[in-house]
Amino acid sequence: MTATLEAPEPVEVAVPDRPRHFLRGKGLVGLVLVGLVIVTGLLGPLLVSWDPYEQIPGANLLGPSGTHLLGTDDLNRDILARLVTGIRVDLLIAFTAVPVGALVGCAVGALATVNSVLDVAVQRLFDVLLAFPQLILAIGLAAVIGPGTTSVVIVIVCVEIPVFGRLLRAAVLRVREAQFVTASEVIGAGKAHVLRHHVLPNSLEPILVQLALSLSVAVFIEGAMSVLGIGVSPPHPSIGSVLTTSLRYLDLNPLFAIGPLAVTAVLVLGFQLIAQAANAARGA
Amino acid sequence: MTRYLLRRAPSALIVLWLASVLIFLVIRAIPGDAAAAMAGPDASEEAIAAIRHDLGLDLPVFTQYLHWLGGLLSGDLGRSYLIGGDIAGLVGEGFANTLTLTLAALVIAVLVALLLGPIWAATTNRWVDRVLTGFHTAAVALPPFVTGVVLIIVFGVFFRLLPTGGVPPKGMFDRLDITAQYLVLPAVCLALPVAGVLTGFLAETLRGELRQDYVTTVRAAGVKRREIVVRHAMRGALPVAITTLGLQTGALLGGAVLVESIFSWPGLGLLVEQGITRRDYPVVQVLLMLSVTVFVLVQLLTDVIHAYLDPRVRLGAQT
Repeated sequence: MTATLEAPEPVEVAVPDRPRHFLRGKGLVGLVLVGLVIVTGLLGPLLVSWDPYEQIPGANLLGPSGTHLLGTDDLNRDILARLVTGIRVDLLIAFTAVPVGALVGCAVGALATVNSVLDVAVQRLFDVLLAFPQLILAIGLAAVIGPGTTSVVIVIVCVEIPVFGRLLRAAVLRVREAQFVTASEVIGAGKAHVLRHHVLPNSLEPILVQLALSLSVAVFIEGAMSVLGIGVSPPHPSIGSVLTTSLRYLDLNPLFAIGPLAVTAVLVLGFQLIAQAANAARGA
Repeated sequence: MTRYLLRRAPSALIVLWLASVLIFLVIRAIPGDAAAAMAGPDASEEAIAAIRHDLGLDLPVFTQYLHWLGGLLSGDLGRSYLIGGDIAGLVGEGFANTLTLTLAALVIAVLVALLLGPIWAATTNRWVDRVLTGFHTAAVALPPFVTGVVLIIVFGVFFRLLPTGGVPPKGMFDRLDITAQYLVLPAVCLALPVAGVLTGFLAETLRGELRQDYVTTVRAAGVKRREIVVRHAMRGALPVAITTLGLQTGALLGGAVLVESIFSWPGLGLLVEQGITRRDYPVVQVLLMLSVTVFVLVQLLTDVIHAYLDPRVRLGAQT
């Protein structure tokens, strides 16, 4: 028995077509830029035959050539190999620290709205943390925990906690005033239910935008801490540490710096464009 | 105005006080004995104890904090462990250099924003819009250590037009034209992010102003578009621009540390870096406190100026 089903009439949906809007222009460019760097970080170390830690005899500060595409550094290591491994380190730092900071920040921000005394305390704490310019906070923390990859991660987490905390708190306060929340409270919804089913979905968009921005900040902080000598410690490579080494040889081999400069620029711009496009798509 | 300031000042003071406690405790938590480090590896127990007593490190932590805070408030910043000398002297010298750099950057950023913001807001040319959008995105996103190195490579290494870093050999005030040559690259590098953010905000606020009814009225009366932007819309946009500028102080302070490190500019940033690498914590402690103080005070000042320019803020504060 066969039954033909009428194709249902297409329903006009009032919801804006966000993904498609996001993928036009800036969003697409941003995704491509970030994607390029991620693919380079994932595949690069497999394609470059040199070991990022190997000191090649006689290859001191060579310029770019067929064997060493970006040249070699002061300790006779292949710069390209160090750069692509450095991308992995940076991506690992950014994609660990930012989500952790976001989760902790959101949790603290959400908890604070439950109790007014707690709220004041948390707000003051965020005020104090935000009273430190990001890099100054990084310097202070690095002074205590000492330089290294762990301290870069901790700094980024500490920078992001108040940012996401504020964001979620503002979202909670805004949504709580909405009529549909009052309505659901009238029919007996508890605080946890309101938080889970109303506040979180409604604050997801600003949080996603902030995530993209924070990832770009994370790359910035890693590079900055390396430049200041408190970042990923040698002999480990990172985008920032390769750049920092190149600073000493700008006169000798300006091309040394090109690799890390390009990667940092592409990554940071990419995340920024994604954030801008996501922000614009929210209003679409 | 005074009443507004009095209302806002206590919360700024609380933040500053909490920050001082935090900085003091955090620096105190650093492992290692400063006195032992100062005395050297071969020092006797008595020598270390003497130094510890001399530095006041044998006192209870609470007393040490009160001494430090009292010193800060009375202008006695304490002594450096290793770089040597009075911290006030070190800080004073670096502060002058950092201030020169920051003010130069601030002037550049404001000029760029005042020029590009109105153009971006008023333009109907698609290419002008695209170029300015590109400038805005790049200026906001690119870290100073990227733009700085690019500036050095282009102007210092490739064209050899400007020095790649450092300060004038005969001092800042010997010949101002030479000082300007040393100052221009770091100042531009430090100014870029602030200029980008400021241009963006100014353009956006101006666009909002241009959609207001009064603009249509003035336009109908035959006033030129350019004149509307410069004479009318700017007045409404200025308070927002000033607040934005105040919020950028953090970027300037953090950026200054980076820029000074890249261009070997002997300011507070370089002092912080030295303090950390040599584990000279009293210096780091004072500099952290100084930057937080500047940051909080500038924000307070920004709020006050904003209130002065925009009566709604001031009046809203009294109800």
